[in-house]
Amino acid sequence: MATNPPRVGLRFWSTLRWPSAKCSVLTLLVVGFFSGIVFWGGFNTVIEWTNTEKFCISCHEMHDNVYREYQHTIHYYNRTGVRAVCSDCHVPQEWGPKMIRKIQASREVWGKITGTINTAEKFEAKRLTLARREWKRMMANDSLECRNCHSFESMDKEKQATRASRQHQNAVEEGMTCIQCHQGIAHELPQDMEDDDYLN
Amino acid sequence: MKKILIAATIGLSFSIAQGMAVAAPPADWSKVGATEITVFYPGISPMEWITGPLRIDRVRHGGGRAFTQGDTCADCHADETAQMGEKIVTGEKLEPNPVLGKPGSIPVTIQAAHDGENLYVRFSWKQPGAANSPKMDDKNPVKIAFMLDGGKVATADQSGCWASCHADSRTMPDGSDDKTKYVKDGSLAGGVFYDLVQWRSGENKAFNGYVADKRVQNEGGGIVAEGKLDGDTWTVTFQRKLAGGEGDVSLESGKAYNFGIAVHDDHTAGRFHHVSLGYTLGIDTKGDLTAMKF
Repeated sequence: MATNPPRVGLRFWSTLRWPSAKCSVLTLLVVGFFSGIVFWGGFNTVIEWTNTEKFCISCHEMHDNVYREYQHTIHYYNRTGVRAVCSDCHVPQEWGPKMIRKIQASREVWGKITGTINTAEKFEAKRLTLARREWKRMMANDSLECRNCHSFESMDKEKQATRASRQHQNAVEEGMTCIQCHQGIAHELPQDMEDDDYLN
Repeated sequence: MKKILIAATIGLSFSIAQGMAVAAPPADWSKVGATEITVFYPGISPMEWITGPLRIDRVRHGGGRAFTQGDTCADCHADETAQMGEKIVTGEKLEPNPVLGKPGSIPVTIQAAHDGENLYVRFSWKQPGAANSPKMDDKNPVKIAFMLDGGKVATADQSGCWASCHADSRTMPDGSDDKTKYVKDGSLAGGVFYDLVQWRSGENKAFNGYVADKRVQNEGGGIVAEGKLDGDTWTVTFQRKLAGGEGDVSLESGKAYNFGIAVHDDHTAGRFHHVSLGYTLGIDTKGDLTAMKF
């Protein structure tokens, strides 16, 4: 009675579990250590590459719509020469939230493939949906990306315009978060916003 | 008997003459304190936008929340009126049809005094350059007006004249030609109105009026106004009874009143004026400007 040969997958798994007869522990450790660095470095480099402005505007959906609007805002061009690129506002800096955001963003690839916003008209039609998603996210995370650079504690309100100083003081007292007053700071507000969409 | 009549007539004439002599503005305005207020071009920024719900170019007024919580316009904007005027007049904000060369703002010096019976208010400002735009008011190159509130117009204490500016009024993009300025729940009988005083340069006439459920203006109406352009400087002096009459806010010593001004420069009309934020006029008491007895 013939026996069935073990399946390839199982054999490979058994090999991996089998102690090495040829390599020393030191070799394994050193090779493993450097392989880890290369793997981790490569992974991180790819992730950081997806955070660059160049990557974000490599698709015409972003380049022709939101990027053009953003070029006229203070986050793109200002007296101090500091620029906040797309990921600075739309991707958290901390590793965990950043990975979650990247996973969420993977569906944007599907949007690209299916062409959900591949014309100006389609983008305008979907602007409110996309904006609502971002406002909701930033309300939930207390405008985390804004606070990567800005904080109430770091503001010298004496140096701010009276208007800004009063508004920021009110915001502190009322426990407000940045996006409540700064909707549309880098992009045009959707034409079809409803009253409830205004957070202030 | 005849002598008595002559004496009485002479006496009466002296009294009238004396009375007329009293009813005159301060002989030396340089001794009256002056306040400079910058009027600026407001574009389309009606009350409905100020308070929040109305959107213009997709955007709502960022200070709507603060305003509804009690902040005044001046609390946030008093030191940036010139900058606001520049942004609006150039069409960066709140003006769909910018006029090239129109000034964004005009600094106006205001002095006020009273003699126990009449209030005197003197305005002076430098004539800015002409924008060479079509004349909306052929007769009058310049008009200047001020409004007073006795405390009953809703939000006048926060916004000055702004409570009379609405999106449905004439010359606004969605306004009706027959809709004038008005205030919420405006009622002359109920005291809910702005007292409106205006001088028109071309006609060289004063107008006394009010803004309640609509704007009403009558020529003269107890207002005396004189204005002139000396070189490049306009000077306009108003005189009105402190007590006033119908449609006037009765002014009392020791009280302060909500106050705002508007200049229609370069033959403009309707919304195309330069306006002030809301201030207070104190009669013998502290205000943003004060009319002391002289």
